[in-house]
Amino acid sequence: MRLGVVKGKVVLSVADPGLVGTRLLIVEPITADRLGGNDPGGGKQLVVADHLGPAEGEIIAFVEGREGANPYWPGRAPVDAYCSLIVDQVNYRPPNE
Amino acid sequence: MFIARIDGSITSTVKHKSLNGVSLLIGQRLDTDGSPVGEPQVIIDTMRAAWGSKVLVSTDGDLARHLLRDNTTPTRLVVVGLLD
Repeated sequence: MRLGVVKGKVVLSVADPGLVGTRLLIVEPITADRLGGNDPGGGKQLVVADHLGPAEGEIIAFVEGREGANPYWPGRAPVDAYCSLIVDQVNYRPPNE
Repeated sequence: MFIARIDGSITSTVKHKSLNGVSLLIGQRLDTDGSPVGEPQVIIDTMRAAWGSKVLVSTDGDLARHLLRDNTTPTRLVVVGLLD
């Protein structure tokens, strides 16, 4: 899972039935050089399916790949990125800093 | 699978139910020369990997489902070994 900052959301007028009831977040992944600072972000923004409801500006962790559809099991959903958790606290201390 | 260095951890209250009680570390994927590759990753740890240590990480979602005993878990990265 990568970490990302919630930047906004997407609203669909027409949607695949598998997406009904799913919130769609716009998320900016957090790069290593901007994880420790007070302006997290820096990655290429993407859309992440969500059932947890983070606010704009909150940090989440999201899974990518077919595991993004696991929460819909045994149903199916056209989801390849999913918000697994909302972060309370990041304890980050890479070497050479 | 890939090699990662443990650079931290996260705490979370609001999360998928399968993650209750699970230790979540921040890992940085490394190249053979030790340089970082890509963005930091949140990884499930059951081996008590130490801060700064190097670990082997599996990207197999099937393993994560088995480990957490939950077919609905939205996770795939798991520490499967500690480097010597």
